[in-house]
Amino acid sequence: MIRKPLIPLAVLALAACATTDPPAEEIGAARAMVAQARPLADRDAPQQIAEAQAKLSRAESEMKKGHHDTARMLARQAEADAKLAWTIAENARLTRTAAEVQDANRALREESERKPQ
Amino acid sequence: MRFDPKLTVIAAALLAAGCAVSPEANQQLDQARASYQAAAADPAVQKYAQTELRSAAGALADAERHAKDGPSELIQPNAYLAQQRAQTAMRTAEMRHTEQTIAGAGEERRRIQLEAREREAAAAREKARVADDARKEAEARTAVLENERLERDKQASASAGTTADVKRLEAELADLRAKETSRGWVLTLKNELLFDTGGSELKPGGERALDNLVQFLEKHSDRSIAIEGFTDSTGSKQLNQSLSEKRAWAVKAALVKRGISSNRIDARGYGPSFPVASNDNAAGRQLNRRVEIVIDPS
Repeated sequence: MIRKPLIPLAVLALAACATTDPPAEEIGAARAMVAQARPLADRDAPQQIAEAQAKLSRAESEMKKGHHDTARMLARQAEADAKLAWTIAENARLTRTAAEVQDANRALREESERKPQ
Repeated sequence: MRFDPKLTVIAAALLAAGCAVSPEANQQLDQARASYQAAAADPAVQKYAQTELRSAAGALADAERHAKDGPSELIQPNAYLAQQRAQTAMRTAEMRHTEQTIAGAGEERRRIQLEAREREAAAAREKARVADDARKEAEARTAVLENERLERDKQASASAGTTADVKRLEAELADLRAKETSRGWVLTLKNELLFDTGGSELKPGGERALDNLVQFLEKHSDRSIAIEGFTDSTGSKQLNQSLSEKRAWAVKAALVKRGISSNRIDARGYGPSFPVASNDNAAGRQLNRRVEIVIDPS
């Protein structure tokens, strides 16, 4: 692999990205998803939400630099990560709730069956 | 797997160089395909996470397109998106399943509560039934005891009544001036009171002398009597016998006339037999001239 002559071409590729519109919509969606996921995910999906947050920050900084395509892709990934984080966390919460409800049912059944007839 | 701008740079460089797709991008694409296929094959995902699955399919299609036509630096980011979305789809389906578990548990809770209420209602009914049985049994027992008590009271009052009856009878007989003897109560009426000398027709005074006896016999219709006539020993025995019989019959006739049934009355004459005093003096002879009314002891 010959590396040296490739760098100007990579710069050209990135420069081409700058010609698209800024990914305001993608970044907005990513922010909303991260904000929605964080309260739950901090507990049950900390790694995923941290990843989402990091990508969102980078997307924002890339957008400031005018690297719109990179920013767009980072924002999409941040949103996908945040959504997965939320889903994992919500699933964990529901699983706990299900266990609690089932435990409560078991206790209720035992109590009602233990009652003197 | 993180999307790294440096990798993009390298990928862009590689693409520009016309080289093959980077191993990292290939690996990411393989993972994305596997994740997507797993999600797509899951009926729960098809049912509950179609939106997520479609967006994963879109990203995967982009990645495949970029792998085929480039730019190759867009393979990995899109494959990554596809993989995350496929996983989100799987987790979403799982979540719906968990939600159903919770809903089922809610129904289960209502069912348990309903069963508990039904059990309690049945227990209450059973308790009421037992209490009712106990009450009925107690009532029956009380009724039996009450009957026994009434029966005892009746017997007691009956025996008390019998005692009282006997006492009253004795008092009445005493009023008649009857005397208690081995033959029963005996009422002695003097002939002078009932008949003229030698006669056998009852005098009006004799009728009155029978008033108390008639009343007694009316009151005690179960009693029979024997009327026995006696004389003193003066005169012919045969005549005395006949006279004593006629006088006994006269008394009987008087009683029958006043409503006493004749079959309750036995009338006999004994003449001078069975004297109660000496015939040697007038006072004794007077005592011997008599009619005795013997009241059956029954």
